[in-house]
Amino acid sequence: MNLQKEYLQQLVPQSTIGQKVKPIQSFVKNPLGQFAIFGLILLLVKIFELMGVISGPLLTSIGFVLVYSIAAIGFCLLLGYSGLASLGTAGFVGLGVYMAFYGLAEWNITILPAFVIAGIIAIILGFVIGFISLRIEGIYLAILTLALSEIVVQILKTLEASVRIRNADITFFGLQLGKDGAFFIIIFALVALLMVTANIIRSPTGRAMLAMKNSTSAAQAMGISLLKYRLLAFVISTLYASVAGFMYMLLITSITSTTSTILTLAFSLNILGAVIIGGAKSLWGTMFGVFFIYGFQQIILSDIPFFRNNPEFMTLVTGVLLILVVMFYPGGFAQMLFNAKWAIRTKLKERRVRKYGTEA
Amino acid sequence: MLGSFLNTITLSLLTICVTMMATMGIALIFKTSNTTNFAQGSIAALGAYLTTYLAFDYGLPVWLTIILGIVFGIAFGVLVDVGIFRRGKNVNIVGKQIITMGLVSLIIGGIPMIFGADTPPAIPSFMRGNLTFDVMGTEVSITYHSLISLAITFVVLTTLFVLLYKSKWGLGVRVTASRESTAELVGINTHVITATSWGIAAGLAVLAAIMLGGSGLASISSTYMTRIQVNSFLAGILGGFSTFYGPIVGAVLIPLGLAVVGFFGRFSPFFQEWAEVIVYVIMLIVILIKPQGIFGKKIGKKV
Repeated sequence: MNLQKEYLQQLVPQSTIGQKVKPIQSFVKNPLGQFAIFGLILLLVKIFELMGVISGPLLTSIGFVLVYSIAAIGFCLLLGYSGLASLGTAGFVGLGVYMAFYGLAEWNITILPAFVIAGIIAIILGFVIGFISLRIEGIYLAILTLALSEIVVQILKTLEASVRIRNADITFFGLQLGKDGAFFIIIFALVALLMVTANIIRSPTGRAMLAMKNSTSAAQAMGISLLKYRLLAFVISTLYASVAGFMYMLLITSITSTTSTILTLAFSLNILGAVIIGGAKSLWGTMFGVFFIYGFQQIILSDIPFFRNNPEFMTLVTGVLLILVVMFYPGGFAQMLFNAKWAIRTKLKERRVRKYGTEA
Repeated sequence: MLGSFLNTITLSLLTICVTMMATMGIALIFKTSNTTNFAQGSIAALGAYLTTYLAFDYGLPVWLTIILGIVFGIAFGVLVDVGIFRRGKNVNIVGKQIITMGLVSLIIGGIPMIFGADTPPAIPSFMRGNLTFDVMGTEVSITYHSLISLAITFVVLTTLFVLLYKSKWGLGVRVTASRESTAELVGINTHVITATSWGIAAGLAVLAAIMLGGSGLASISSTYMTRIQVNSFLAGILGGFSTFYGPIVGAVLIPLGLAVVGFFGRFSPFFQEWAEVIVYVIMLIVILIKPQGIFGKKIGKKV
């Protein structure tokens, strides 16, 4: 009895034993709770828009950032946790866009079956890339996923030059979807996928992926199956990208394949860039990276008259900032924040030591 | 039949030359700086803009503007290496790719600010007119522009290969390509090697852009080299990046394959519509069979 108590005291720091669990504090400190709060804030933003406080175009910009975030968090799992680079995001997102079109406009099925079909096709594609990744590695794999994405995009472009759905016609559990409903679905999908991703990261699956990233040979020696986790990583990231494409279609309702920006190599690179400058291992960082690349221009810079008159200058500034961040902070914004936190903590400690003369 | 097939080949001749030039640049940077340079196409477009701008707004002779465009490309490439890549040595491979991506944004944002948002006039071609000859009753024609481009490509690439395999600089490039830190240890000035590689790569890119812009096949915009650039990357892994001639062979095979599959389009529209998908799928299968590329050598990995 006594031994057990001693062991517990070693395991759990003294201060927390016998202390009452503070429900609000633990909710805020838990990533899942943080994501729930994030979702509530987004709902508030939408409600403000309905009340007329926030303008419609601004909300659409926010919507795009949220949709791209869905693709980016899948990519974060792939790059930051499994160490696999891919340049195929455009193809997978395009797949989601076209599956939304085929499901909702061509075959006239309801939203849930259409969503499931899009998911199944994305999973099959993920399997294909996963198997390829067992034979080819590193930068070669990235270029090969680019080839695969080109194949997918070419097939889609040949099938249909421009796609259009009418989201006013879509019903969701008997409710008319429309533009407002689409936004609610996007918020729900993003928060749900964030929670799922955070859970995957903290589960044995996430640890196995991290081991695989750091050294494939060591991971294999520990009994981690490369086949299983590479397939899983690619399936998850492809699925997320496809979901993002589906949501994109609900939001924008029509695209023309030749002029669309999401079917290009630049889109894949921008998502990659968002994950890198945000900090590849941080979900919040990734979302901030997406905001930095896609939202920064529309939401912040376009309020400054100088930038509104010279829209090219915004692209230029984004490019310069991207280069500077990667050059000086290879770990992205997450590292920047960590460094700042560390610096403040050391400063405070120095001050305390100077004042009281002790380490405590 | 043979005549129309030859016509297909002569039409794709220019694209082959342009892709070869662009691929050489990409392979050089891939080997010395260990990154895929996504900004290659944008740098090329910037050089092309400068060339037409000098030719039409300042009325300089065409040959001079082309030379100035290439010199600008070389300077820009050296500047990128000295200003950015030399300072970012501890950035990993993906980070370097993102830096080149940032360069793309920088250039795409910069072009309309410098040259205005309008589509510029096309670059004048090297020489107008067609060379026609008769093959089994069908007229086969080839533009003089393509022929001159072919000659330029041949001369430039031959010179580069002689330099790479016979000169001291080429030896330095090949040593740097196998491992930069070892190259430094044996006394190679890797700074000079990477800077010259970037300069040559950017110069080749601008030359490719000028060739394509002068052919009338594409109108100049800030993204008009993207297609060529994507094909160049694919050509690189098809031929294998471990040699210099592998990517060049890949750069011939991919546009040629596209042209040949497109030629079958006269029998069934299926081939016309799906030409790119067919060629890319064949390429994918070849790479899955030989992951190092057609001419690639397998490099053992230390655990």
